[in-house]
Amino acid sequence: MALLAAIALSSFVFSADPKGALNIASVKVYNVKAQRYPHRKQELAFVNFNVTADLTPLFNWNTKQLFLYLEAEYANAQGVKNEVVIWDRIIRRKEDAIINVVGKNKYNFHDISTTFKNVPPSSYSLKYNVMPYVGVLTYGEAAKTDEPVAFPKVESRV
Amino acid sequence: MFSEELKTFRRLGFRHVLLQVLNFASVIASGLMIWKGLGLITNSESPIVVVLSGSMEPAFYRGDLLFLTNPSNERYQTGDITVYKIPGQGIPIVHRVLETHDKAGSISDPVPYQRLLTKGDNNYVDDIELYQGLQWLERKHIVGKVRGFLPYVGYVTIAMNDFPQLKYALLGGLGLLALIQRE
Repeated sequence: MALLAAIALSSFVFSADPKGALNIASVKVYNVKAQRYPHRKQELAFVNFNVTADLTPLFNWNTKQLFLYLEAEYANAQGVKNEVVIWDRIIRRKEDAIINVVGKNKYNFHDISTTFKNVPPSSYSLKYNVMPYVGVLTYGEAAKTDEPVAFPKVESRV
Repeated sequence: MFSEELKTFRRLGFRHVLLQVLNFASVIASGLMIWKGLGLITNSESPIVVVLSGSMEPAFYRGDLLFLTNPSNERYQTGDITVYKIPGQGIPIVHRVLETHDKAGSISDPVPYQRLLTKGDNNYVDDIELYQGLQWLERKHIVGKVRGFLPYVGYVTIAMNDFPQLKYALLGGLGLLALIQRE
């Protein structure tokens, strides 16, 4: 019990704050059929991005895994503030913690008003959650876009 | 067989038995007090939960113990791991927040109004199917945010649920100890 407590406390000593780079290559908006509602349409955004980061400093003896996620943050036309996770990855080994990903969003990215029309530009950030073997969960941000990325005009399906 | 025990009972008298009962009651009462006190401090109806499913693997396995807080003025963010309870469904679910949608201007409210969507790390799709007709989670459904983690310890409760004999054996053993033990 005392050993567990010591391990949990020891992870406060490690305070790595690694930084990476995040680049949004392209954002496209298409008008498609809504999920679960066959006669309704909604706009989906498709985001292509590049991520490079070296997260190995986050791995210490009490690190079980990292949960890495890419988040879009924007306020829609009605003023609702939104945070949407569009991509994530679980990293379980130190060898896998050097991230070099060219990817696209993994989860559906749509606004609750069903449209991205008149929605101000969105900022994107790469965040992580360090999950320990025992103790407290910690969070951090590894990268953020320099300036917000605008949503383009809607295109019909190619 | 029990004649000796009966004899000692007679020797110690009725008051001793009452004292034993009182002791037992105070143990139970203080346990309840600690639990409720923790609940008050963390603002969560159950500040410690046991993971019951594998939907957050490899982060949390069955039997891991989670410590929760639920500060009412703090908003939930993506990446936070929440425990929520859908009305009409007994079992609380431990999943990660995938989307948050804050009502305009509600950030400064004492309790911000948020709509949340969650997903288990080990599941392929989000949780809408689990919400039983709800479109979003709201604050009232949420029991707390996971802050701390202790592996395996909660497995005792799962074992007791899976093998009821174990529960009776444990209870019987404890009861017997309490009866036989004398100061």
